[in-house]
Amino acid sequence: MARKPILAFAFVAPALLFLAATLVWPLVSAFVLSLQNVRGIGTSGQWVGLENYRFILTYAAFWESAGLSLVWVLANAIVQTLLALAAALILHQKFPGLRIARTWIILTWIVPTVVVVMIWRWLFSTSGGMINPLLIQLGILNRPMGFFATPESAFATLVFINSWRWFPFIALMMLAGLSRIPTELYEAARIDGASAFKRFTRITWPLLAPTLTVLLIIGTLLSFNVFDIIWLMTQGGPAGGTRTLPILIYETAFRSYRMSEAATIAVLATMLLMAFAVLATRSLARSGDER
Amino acid sequence: MRRGRSWNAVLVAGLLFFVALVGLPFWWVVSGSFKIPQEIIARVPTMFPQSFTLEHYQKLLSSSDYGTYLVNSLVVSSLSAFITLLLAIPAGYAFFRLEFKGRETYYRIILLAYAFPSIVVLIPLFGMFAKAGLVDTRTALVIVNVAFALPFAIWMLRSFFASIPKEIEEAARLDGGPPLTVLWRIMIPLTAPGIAAVAIFAFVTSWTEYVFASVMILSDARRTIPVGFSGIIGQYQVDWGLLLAGASLAILPVVIVFAFIGRWFVTGLTEGAVK
Repeated sequence: MARKPILAFAFVAPALLFLAATLVWPLVSAFVLSLQNVRGIGTSGQWVGLENYRFILTYAAFWESAGLSLVWVLANAIVQTLLALAAALILHQKFPGLRIARTWIILTWIVPTVVVVMIWRWLFSTSGGMINPLLIQLGILNRPMGFFATPESAFATLVFINSWRWFPFIALMMLAGLSRIPTELYEAARIDGASAFKRFTRITWPLLAPTLTVLLIIGTLLSFNVFDIIWLMTQGGPAGGTRTLPILIYETAFRSYRMSEAATIAVLATMLLMAFAVLATRSLARSGDER
Repeated sequence: MRRGRSWNAVLVAGLLFFVALVGLPFWWVVSGSFKIPQEIIARVPTMFPQSFTLEHYQKLLSSSDYGTYLVNSLVVSSLSAFITLLLAIPAGYAFFRLEFKGRETYYRIILLAYAFPSIVVLIPLFGMFAKAGLVDTRTALVIVNVAFALPFAIWMLRSFFASIPKEIEEAARLDGGPPLTVLWRIMIPLTAPGIAAVAIFAFVTSWTEYVFASVMILSDARRTIPVGFSGIIGQYQVDWGLLLAGASLAILPVVIVFAFIGRWFVTGLTEGAVK
């Protein structure tokens, strides 16, 4: 097709300009802010060069949060990918009520996060919540436990809640990958006498792998940035046990009123994620070329 | 596909697990909202309500502007979805079909939009909106929601366009149609399920958005459901009945919307996307 730069520009420019104004420009302002010493919103500050970076990189709370964020991303990736994979494989089968199941599994994702948080706070609570009696009845617990009482259990509970919210969406994207695998392959394998396990490891898994990789990257970015569920549920507590980087940024900016330091943490987190995204998409592109 | 008996058992067990995982919380919430307070906090919870009352709903509707929040949410989410499509369809098509300098670079940059904590842009955006006089308006929320839905929308649409057989598009072009006509007459109708899926994605993104809505909106009359609901949570910490009624009413509208168009979301997602 002939190059029509003006037309292409007319098609792409509105979206790009919009994103430049709403995402890129604020990012640049955040970087500028990180080189100053602004405290409250709207107040002015002086240029301090890289002073904030020197401070943040030696700030224990920053490294604690970075570590928590890493664990958070890994834990969510594992839990949510496994749940999604199992769900997608089931929804790929034929059974009565399939269409209903495919549509309504997404229910957890279309509900406002505030409501998700309220639902689980109630279900996990020790007064009237359903989870404690259920676990006691099943013999897993012998007395009610406070799920948000210790840093570790609060963290694990939040991983569960966040994965619960996101796994159906990821499952549907996996289902998209599954439904592009030609059914002839399965038929041929069946005729050759391949077992169900073999059909999975030799056909489903290798053909689904590219989709899984894309979803792992998206999932990583999405869960790294999760703020509302954690903030509304625990506000980063108890004892900072759920204070991931987005929570630390918010606290620093809106609780301690140290805008510049918050911006510095944000810039560092962004650089980290960008590096991850660039490396991940590049290796993805390479493996795509090889196929 | 035929299956063995043991395989069927695994399937049924897995299905039951997911029905419980997704369905039970919602069942407990909705059924709980009709229970009397004593039953809600009973030591041994009841699976099926033993009592029936509408008192929580009456109290909720008389003590808060739930109807207003609902209308605000619907207006903001619908507008966000519409504007997202308006910007994403031409962009997605251009990234897929038209050749221009730096196409791949721009495309990569768009995807990087999710590579930073959205909290980062909250402070500068608030400053920008303050200068433009947009703080405490629903316009501000629409702008923010479009910004967050747009990159993914473009990405999804590009792969939907890519799933259309090239011959169809080429035939249309040989008939002398300019790109805009080809896009409007051929490509959009053919990718309708995908476009519906993108619209629903944008709608849901803004329907569930809380952080920006809570910072940008100051007056009660402009609150969306998430913000209005969190206000109610703050006021009635331990009144579970009221909160359950609020949660049920917050779930209801999306469930109604989804009952009509949810099918499109799933077909749209599974027929295109993720290349």
